[in-house]
Amino acid sequence: MESLRVENIRKTFNLSRKQRKLQNTDEKRKVAVDGLSFEAKPGEIYGLLGPNGAGKTTTLRCISTLISPDEGDITVNGMSVKNESINVRRDIAFLTTELKLDEHFTPNYLFDYFADLHGLDKATKQKRKAFFFKRFGIDRFAEVKVADLSSGMKQKTSLAIALVHDPGTVVFDEPTTGLDVLTAKTVTDYLVELRDLGKVVIISTHILSVVEKICDRVGIIVDGKIKISDTLDNVRKESKDGTLEGIFFDYMIEGGVADA
Amino acid sequence: MRDIWTVFRKEIYRVFSDKRLILSIFILPGLSIFLIYSLMGTFLGDMEEDLESHESVIYESNMPSALRSEINSEYSVEFHDATDVNREILEDNVLEGEYDLVILFEENFESKIANYETEEAPDLEIIFNEGEQNSTRAYNQVSAILNNYQQSIIQNRLDNPEDYLVYNLNAVQLVDEQNVLAEGIASLMPMLIIIFLFTGAMSIGPDAIAGEKERGTIATLLVRPIRRRSIALGKVASLSLLALLSALSSFVGIILSLPKLMQMDDNMPDVSIYTFQDYFAILLVLLTTVIFVVGLVSIISAYAKTIKEASMLIMPVYFLAIIVGMMNSFGADVNHEMWVHLIPIYGQINILAGVLTFDYTIANLLVTMASSLIYTLGFVILLNAMFNSEKIMFSR
Repeated sequence: MESLRVENIRKTFNLSRKQRKLQNTDEKRKVAVDGLSFEAKPGEIYGLLGPNGAGKTTTLRCISTLISPDEGDITVNGMSVKNESINVRRDIAFLTTELKLDEHFTPNYLFDYFADLHGLDKATKQKRKAFFFKRFGIDRFAEVKVADLSSGMKQKTSLAIALVHDPGTVVFDEPTTGLDVLTAKTVTDYLVELRDLGKVVIISTHILSVVEKICDRVGIIVDGKIKISDTLDNVRKESKDGTLEGIFFDYMIEGGVADA
Repeated sequence: MRDIWTVFRKEIYRVFSDKRLILSIFILPGLSIFLIYSLMGTFLGDMEEDLESHESVIYESNMPSALRSEINSEYSVEFHDATDVNREILEDNVLEGEYDLVILFEENFESKIANYETEEAPDLEIIFNEGEQNSTRAYNQVSAILNNYQQSIIQNRLDNPEDYLVYNLNAVQLVDEQNVLAEGIASLMPMLIIIFLFTGAMSIGPDAIAGEKERGTIATLLVRPIRRRSIALGKVASLSLLALLSALSSFVGIILSLPKLMQMDDNMPDVSIYTFQDYFAILLVLLTTVIFVVGLVSIISAYAKTIKEASMLIMPVYFLAIIVGMMNSFGADVNHEMWVHLIPIYGQINILAGVLTFDYTIANLLVTMASSLIYTLGFVILLNAMFNSEKIMFSR
């Protein structure tokens, strides 16, 4: 299993008139990510930490091939997201609050549907379904329409569906945001299990405690630029008070995102 | 191919596993058309029956007795004397629909006619209400009799009436029942077919594509290892089938309501006038037209951010299709120019009218089908590009 490399990517977006007004700017384009590089290795959880609007989600969307970087490249298991996007998608799981489930269907139907899109044979599909449905307790609501599920149930279903093809790289955008404590624990516990299975796991979050609890490496991103990318211990050492919170706020102040 | 089939199956299942969608897409269109058209037919029939059974109320003064007998023998009329009735009252009653007709003959009408060489022509005044069907009908009936009456008087005044006979007209009316029925069907059916195909595609297309964007489910699909082309083809194929079934429902509704609507004494129109080849040609045109319409609706739906926006953007195209349909309906001649068959919608309606009136060539049929397929292919390529465009797929 190879690592995931993000190499000097840059991504800009057009700003609509409404967005320019909201952001109080005359600029017609916004640089969301600017020369960003980092590496996430197998058997590690990499945490991309930053405030809202820092470029975390844009970076993860580039990794997932939903959008393409304007400059630079990303390789997943040696495959370029620009030139081999379909192969990258075969080996990656991407989960974000932005990805919704069609509320008309049941978890059972959706699992089969996405398994079919990944080309899984019937036996593998049934085996994985049995595993995930038991692991996340989906069995008891497998035949209930998504529209009638709680947000925790929906997140568990999304998790199972994202992992249906047993990917080597798992990318989660804000994995615990909006979840109750129990579901959040289920998700973070499973991310640790995936790491222990030797997968590349990348999460983005603005919650420091999540990074402290599960991440092995961390990258702090402010204004589309990565400020530091190292092991959690080394990042802590960079801080005056030896805490993740300390260095995080140092960069926020430096970037003008927080007051001194 | 497997991916197209997977997307196709999911879209079909989505509709057929939802009772409300089944009701709104497949049952309500046909049922509502059947009920509306049947009610219209019943209403028209009742109106006709009322007219037929109505006894005309005619107020007259100084009407020649021969004329009165003639009218009485031809139509069901209730005569009243208007001699002493004020003119304003007569007019008011005609306006209010109480009287159907007022005929005021000048005093000594017949003797003035008889002494036409010494006397001036007598006056005859008829008052009727054009806004009342019974009044207009009574006027037309009485006018016809008055015309004959006038003709007979003129003939009596001539020494040799035969000298004034220029020719003997003998019009022989031949009716090809088959052609009359075919013309009747072709005057409306092609336009209705296009309208039904559009409404069918419009009822599901925006939800299947713009709805996925609005709900955020499109991103879940786009991170899977399938080509965007497969998504586009799977969507267009499934929507085509659903639109065709929805159009079929409307079609069944109109066919079942035809006997009532066309006052055919509850008999179904004899559709056996068409051969297997005609039906096969209609089927081919329908299939190529439905994928064209669905392709068009899909493009608009993919461009729109929400279902509401998609429905709004499709409306002008829908109205345009109706206008084009109307241009080619109601007795318009089938156009045989080859280039006409390249025009979207117009060409398809034209060839449908041609097939239904037994007035088409295989070359024209093939050109229409080929052009529909080429347009659809263009739509699928465009749809594929749209699914690949970040700006279109993720714009908010």
